[in-house]
Amino acid sequence: MAILIDKNTRVITQGITGKAGRFHTEQCVAYGSCFVGGVTPGKGGQTILELPVFDSVAEAKKATNCDATMIFVPPPFAAEAIIEAEASAIRLIVCITEGIPVQDMLEVSYIMRNSKTSRLIGPNCPGIITPGQCKIGIMPGYIHKKGNVGVVSRSGTLTYEAVWQTTSSGLGQSSCVGIGGDPLNGTNYVDVLELFEKDPQTEAILLIGEIGGDAEEQAAEWIKKNCSKPIAAFVAGTTAPVGKRMGHAGAIISGNQGTAQSKIKALKAAGVVVTESPAEMGEAVLEAIKTRKK
Amino acid sequence: MHLHEYQAKMVLQEHNIPIPDFVVVSDIAEAENVLRSLKLSNAVLKVQVHAGGRGKAGGIKMAKSPNEILDSIRTLLGMKIVNAQTGKEGVVANQVMISSTVNIEKEYYLAITIDRHIGQAVLIASQEGGMDIEEVAARSPEKIKTLPIPLNGHFRNYQLIEILKFMGWSDELAEQGKAIIKNLTEAFFHCDALLLEINPLVLSREGQLIALDAKLTIDDNALFRQSQLAEWDDPTQLNPFEARAKEFDLAYIALEGNIGCMVNGAGLAMATMDIIQHYGGKPANFLDVGGGASEEKIAEGFKILLSDPKVEAILVNIFGGIMNCVTLAGGIISATSDSTVHVPVVIRMEGTNVETGRKLLADSALDIIIANDLAEAAEKAVAAVRRKK
Repeated sequence: MAILIDKNTRVITQGITGKAGRFHTEQCVAYGSCFVGGVTPGKGGQTILELPVFDSVAEAKKATNCDATMIFVPPPFAAEAIIEAEASAIRLIVCITEGIPVQDMLEVSYIMRNSKTSRLIGPNCPGIITPGQCKIGIMPGYIHKKGNVGVVSRSGTLTYEAVWQTTSSGLGQSSCVGIGGDPLNGTNYVDVLELFEKDPQTEAILLIGEIGGDAEEQAAEWIKKNCSKPIAAFVAGTTAPVGKRMGHAGAIISGNQGTAQSKIKALKAAGVVVTESPAEMGEAVLEAIKTRKK
Repeated sequence: MHLHEYQAKMVLQEHNIPIPDFVVVSDIAEAENVLRSLKLSNAVLKVQVHAGGRGKAGGIKMAKSPNEILDSIRTLLGMKIVNAQTGKEGVVANQVMISSTVNIEKEYYLAITIDRHIGQAVLIASQEGGMDIEEVAARSPEKIKTLPIPLNGHFRNYQLIEILKFMGWSDELAEQGKAIIKNLTEAFFHCDALLLEINPLVLSREGQLIALDAKLTIDDNALFRQSQLAEWDDPTQLNPFEARAKEFDLAYIALEGNIGCMVNGAGLAMATMDIIQHYGGKPANFLDVGGGASEEKIAEGFKILLSDPKVEAILVNIFGGIMNCVTLAGGIISATSDSTVHVPVVIRMEGTNVETGRKLLADSALDIIIANDLAEAAEKAVAAVRRKK
């Protein structure tokens, strides 16, 4: 089962002729993902990595019947690429691009909120992987292992750390979703938690949060009311100073809002096992499972 | 990117929002010239720094004669503003604004920012201006109105009427207020702002609405299309290590502790700071070299840590994904070839090409402490600092 993607997902890459787009498409194909083409305006008709290149998403969809896209388009044009994919009713749009201007994302947010056909993951995210079946993103494939923990995170390399710990502890993952570190993004924690809740393969959930915004607090609210599965969490940024931008535009604390302490408190109140040490995320999942079984 | 008050006011002026007349000076000779040509008898003097709380820190002065003006400027130029926002090291005022005085009848608050919760730009308005808006929000939230701005960047008429009524502006004042709100909205979108704030917006005794203070933060991601604003960047307002990191496109923030960290990825970098604290240590900085850093960037980042006198031990934590461990090892070896390493260095790496990376470091003559996981790395770094003492 797993969520959103599996071995039958047919993927294209928008921006496949760029260096990063090409490299990561190659990596995803090597992992076993089913890529069926790519899009770069003006380069239609070429072939890259034995995949056909199209001028537009609409043409790619018509020729390949793709249902997912991985976006590597540079920041000035990335918002447009997302909007183009939505216009072609691509079911899953995964935008890896980092550095899209916030004001460009206002229109994307509006379109995605009202979309009846598409879901956006990202931008500024590592992507999504269902171990052993399909990888759409830039995460190193080998650290994953098929299993029963659903991982959802706003971070990139911290997610790898979390995945590595759940692999090392023998649990493995059902699917891992990086929702991205930008202030405006498509899919949020609650969307992913709902999917994990319904997925029979997912037996426990690991949520990785960080300072800024109130997405973790919203997740806690949802968990309290709706979640039947054991959940563990870590929130990065306990030591972050107020008002400084920690790499991610979204990770700004203003006043008392968005602090790690407020998020940890909300998650604990919702029955989530929160670890204070990022070295113990794997153990926290084990503990959550054990506590729930009692 | 933060701008100075005078820069934010120049943006407001370009968009026809009334501001008090001002001149900015950076030395006394310049100030004397200004005084001679303008024949000012009184003025408000304000330090230009990238930090709030200037008034409380003594960075704003009223002067009632040309001599008082010059004396105040002498005090303010070079003044170091230190508060919660600036950290211990503070920021230095290299420029002082000489501003005409305004007779204040009433103070208001107006700002536009992005509300990530609803995914829209919002106007925040209040009749309680001149103070910290977060305090007003906590004390009496009913005194603040928040209105989402339509996607096309223009308020609808019914929304404008709602704001004007909330602010208690009618007749001639309503006309002024309406123009300011429209122009502020236009300015916000025009310069890719994340925050454009007028606090206070004052009503003068003469019946005019004037922006007395302004704050403008520009989206770093949009600087590629805001070339004029990008030139207004003032690296003197950054900690010197932060300024150097910025030159090499590294995300660096100075902190108070003594364990220097170099990590790839913002989330993992924060988690690394957290775990250092978890084991009783204190991080000296946040340094994210990014997902796909090159050997040069790694080397520059490492050199910044080596040159920081606060740093008593270094912890490198890299989870190789796009960037592989060989690049990391190469960067560190290259950085140490022309700088001496006088502090213990703990390296934890995992991910792509980890074995080759470890071998490279082992074969180099470098004295490095290798850690196998995150906890071990933090423990070893904390222990290394303790041993030194």
